[in-house]
Amino acid sequence: MKQPLFALVDCNNFFVSCERLFRPELNTTPVVVLSSNDGCAISRSNEAKALGIPMGAPAFKYRQLFQDNGVVSFSANFELYGDISRRLTQILTSVTPRIEVYSVDECFLDLSRLAIKDHLEWGRNLRARILKELGIPVSIGIAGSKTLSKIATEIGKQELHRGGVCDLYHMSIKDRRDTIAKVKVRNIWGIGRRLAPQLQAEGITNAAEMAGLRPARARQLMGVHGEQMVYELNGTSCIPLERQHKLQKMISRGRTFGEDTNQPHVVEAALASFATQSAFRLRQSGQLTKRLQVWLSTDRHKPGHRQWSREVLFGTPTADTGQLITSAVQAFAEIYDKSAAYHRASVTLFDFSPAGQLQTDLLGEVDPTLHGQKTERLRAVDGLNKRYGKNTVHYAAQDLADAWEPRKMLRSPRYTTNWDELPLIRPFK
Amino acid sequence: MPEPNDDGVAIHAGFPNPASDRDLAEVDLHRLLVKQPTSTFFMKIDGNDWEDRSIFDGDIVVIDRSLDPRKKDLVVATKDDTFLITPFSKLPTDCVLWGTVTAVIHRYRT
Repeated sequence: MKQPLFALVDCNNFFVSCERLFRPELNTTPVVVLSSNDGCAISRSNEAKALGIPMGAPAFKYRQLFQDNGVVSFSANFELYGDISRRLTQILTSVTPRIEVYSVDECFLDLSRLAIKDHLEWGRNLRARILKELGIPVSIGIAGSKTLSKIATEIGKQELHRGGVCDLYHMSIKDRRDTIAKVKVRNIWGIGRRLAPQLQAEGITNAAEMAGLRPARARQLMGVHGEQMVYELNGTSCIPLERQHKLQKMISRGRTFGEDTNQPHVVEAALASFATQSAFRLRQSGQLTKRLQVWLSTDRHKPGHRQWSREVLFGTPTADTGQLITSAVQAFAEIYDKSAAYHRASVTLFDFSPAGQLQTDLLGEVDPTLHGQKTERLRAVDGLNKRYGKNTVHYAAQDLADAWEPRKMLRSPRYTTNWDELPLIRPFK
Repeated sequence: MPEPNDDGVAIHAGFPNPASDRDLAEVDLHRLLVKQPTSTFFMKIDGNDWEDRSIFDGDIVVIDRSLDPRKKDLVVATKDDTFLITPFSKLPTDCVLWGTVTAVIHRYRT
């Protein structure tokens, strides 16, 4: 049995980095990407973070600050992000097929079967390769457990001298303890805002102190989960790489929120991750999906329990990350209830068929699959409008509510997934 | 023996066409032009400044970011907020290299 060894590849400020790939002049400008449903910051450049713009900051509240500091904001372009994310997972799969797509911008790699001499150098090379080929800066954390690799990534990101890569595995126990002591307990993977104060009350403030906790005590405090975390923090892997082994008829990803939320951008970000994870699994299994379902519920242990779901039917089967994210986010916008305290959300794909050719093809100026789908959708819309009166169904972009319009206008072109929106390039005279 | 048809040409009937299976050889333009799908991007030529090089407005530029440009390559570079296509040997100093051009596609009909 080989010793477990993981690397986490985490994109820095992913959505902003995707925008910058095609707007390199913004490389030193503060940039934020706003969620498409409520205009809250879901990705911030380092410059924007330095201005004190928090995650989830509503654009309307920060308008003055944006103006005063020349902050450039974009509305989320999930088609672009999905495409870059897909390319990243493809690059990583070429490094090792043993990967787990954790979210739209994070992947775990199982390194235990790779012959690597110098892991730091390996990490730096991979980082350089991704930066060159995709233009996306990443941080890489290497460790004996997934929890530690998360921490390593964070350290690689924070401490500039490390060049984006941190290896906690090939490090003495003392050095590792000193290094992870810099990570606050609330930033440990799996410790939410709920658990952190409880641990702090126990005198546990950082990851090293958490690692020093007796497993039995951790179990008393946080259950099996806590005990597992102590082992993980000491480099003993308890959480294996999640991979798909057999053909599935249905792929579902979801989770419970750290705390109940009614904020659309929080739900949107979660749905984007679920859609990305599901899309990857779907492609891995060599299949395409015809249906996507978004499901949401409030806490069923609380009074007034409710659930919502919305299904999207694809005219042409797809496994396209961008399309699945976009559909999930749109479906959510249609069922969003301002008064709801969302507790859990999931994305489910079903009704599969074997995959054919997927990529935007040079030969298909009008991509036959997309075309077919658009016409079919249009036909459905037309049918409804005919039956129930004009504008019964319309697209968000043509929504009469003016609040929607300016946000939509901030969306960058779909540079990589739409022939009509390719970047323009000028011959140099 | 095959029977001659009306045109006097003998044809074999009932023999399966080996090319009917789509998985078999098929020249695929996408594969010819896109060697590294993960690092390949497309852009569109804006303007007719390079007519003399037979590169026209609307032509599609295929760019592979994984390649290291050589002297005679065309490259994509950024200058402020514009993408430029230029010979690598003439890359202006105030430009940042973005990728290497592997093809420019001109269509005579669309």
